[in-house]
Amino acid sequence: MPLAPRGAPKNLEGTTTDGGRQRGMLLDRDDWYDIAHDLDWSLTYVPHETAFPDAWSGSKDIPRHAWDAWEEPYRVSYRDYVAVQREKESGVAGVRDALKRARVYERLVPSVAAVSHLHMGATCMVEQMAVMMLGRSARFAPSPRWRNISVFGMLDEIRHAQLDLLFSHDLLKYESRFDWCQKAFHTNEWGIIAIRSFCDDWLLNANCVDSALAVHLTFEHGFTNLQFIALAAGAMEAGDVEFSNLLSSIQTDEARHAQQGFPTLEILMKHDPQRAQRVLDVSFWRSFRLFQAITGTSMDYYTPLSKRTMSFKEFMLEWIVDQHERTLRDYGLKRPWYWETFLQSLEHGHHALHLGMWFWRPTLFWKPSAGVSKAERRWLNDKYPQWEDSWGVLWDQIIKNVNDGKLAQTLPQTLPALCNLTQLPIGTHWDRHHIECVTSEYRGRTYHFDSEVSKWCFELEPERYAGHLNVVDRFIAGMIQPADLNGVLQWMGLTADVMGDDAGNYGWAADYVPHAQFAG
Amino acid sequence: MALIPVYGRFVGDFTAHLVAVDTEDTIDEVASKIAVHAIGRRLPEEPLAKGLEVSSGGRTLAPTSRLKDWSPQPLQWLDVRWKW
Repeated sequence: MPLAPRGAPKNLEGTTTDGGRQRGMLLDRDDWYDIAHDLDWSLTYVPHETAFPDAWSGSKDIPRHAWDAWEEPYRVSYRDYVAVQREKESGVAGVRDALKRARVYERLVPSVAAVSHLHMGATCMVEQMAVMMLGRSARFAPSPRWRNISVFGMLDEIRHAQLDLLFSHDLLKYESRFDWCQKAFHTNEWGIIAIRSFCDDWLLNANCVDSALAVHLTFEHGFTNLQFIALAAGAMEAGDVEFSNLLSSIQTDEARHAQQGFPTLEILMKHDPQRAQRVLDVSFWRSFRLFQAITGTSMDYYTPLSKRTMSFKEFMLEWIVDQHERTLRDYGLKRPWYWETFLQSLEHGHHALHLGMWFWRPTLFWKPSAGVSKAERRWLNDKYPQWEDSWGVLWDQIIKNVNDGKLAQTLPQTLPALCNLTQLPIGTHWDRHHIECVTSEYRGRTYHFDSEVSKWCFELEPERYAGHLNVVDRFIAGMIQPADLNGVLQWMGLTADVMGDDAGNYGWAADYVPHAQFAG
Repeated sequence: MALIPVYGRFVGDFTAHLVAVDTEDTIDEVASKIAVHAIGRRLPEEPLAKGLEVSSGGRTLAPTSRLKDWSPQPLQWLDVRWKW
């Protein structure tokens, strides 16, 4: 490697020697990058397969030399990375300081604050699990270039987890729910179990190749735009400037490192396209079901009506569906076989999940907004023409109970049926007219699913899922004591200060009180 | 007499519930135990209905028979609907 720079030397600030600045001797990144990113070893003490076991690396039948073609989607040196990230951190810190002085959080309406409680609890530890996933790639990915770029991805995810914790820690003095930023993934809260189940499968227990397709390409590149851009826009409109700023800053990293999935997909399409199709189709469905619960509810029910820029469906169609279909087309993949079911689920699933989450609100660590005042209902019917028949009918009974003072009738007495794959309530993939009783038998045990799609995911690799018990399984196995709803709440770690209740304190139901009640 | 957990769905509701029933329960009693989680909570009462009926796997279960007569399995799916 030449010691003298080729071309014009850059005058960069670097490490000092003998107290002075080193000048004019640093190379351009492109002068050395092609050598550095291929840093690798010819192993002599152990076979390659011992140092890079396939269970971790995931190469399977793809020939080793095929990975020579893996080309990273962006180039970055550690020096560049630190310089850019330092700027970003200064920006975030500046906004944080300004907003602390402005006491923005204290002025947020409860439904808007709830969006950040839900987000912090649901995503902080996912970022941390992504650190471990990228750490696996930094060590075991089948290409040295991939291993190199994964280190920067790891640093990104460390930043994200730490930013979430910092944001939440600042706000603990106002709201003890922010403790769930760190605590949530150490509890048995049912929604967290659903997220953790996906992450255990695809972040912690997938080989590098499968996780690149499932997480970078599908979950990150496909779906996180929903939460981190669409929701951030809504949060900004609604006045939660700090949360919006945080999400936007995080997403600049995500948009970069999520591209890591593409070079892996290129190689899979040459050598094992069926595997690529299968992993994408499974992870698209599973990711979608989670984002329906987290983002669909936040966008269409918690964001104040006047601040909604797009519906969940509109954003999904424009940003995710269009983008995903383009990816599939560009790389020669087919739409998933379940596409029609997916479109129906897009129309209904998050409404089902919202109704369930609101009804079972004591099992949440945030306060859900019912989001069905008359004006909000008109908006919902405008965006989702079948809403009234599928959901309005059910909400009408709830509203009647609220206005009759029968709050106990708006609360559950038992658990809902749960899917053994998604961990979500059965009936929430579509609407009340399309509930299916979908089961599969495996080694003497009956598994229940929210849809034929979830059943298909299970049957592709039953051993991945077979040993897992969902919350209902654990309840009937006697693992939750006392075996009643209070026992369930305790088991889920829900204390009185975080347990969910209606964010609007039921005031919205007054919209429906008949005028005759006020006649003189 | 044995308690058995079933998944009970009232047709028209958006989900099924985990319901503890007894193998000695009549089907009418099973219907009531399932209906209580939906009727008056998310679905209205139907004063003109003639009662409730229960089906499983496409079969309607005789209302005065006992659950044990149908060899129930844990988490078996039962549908309840109004009888007109």
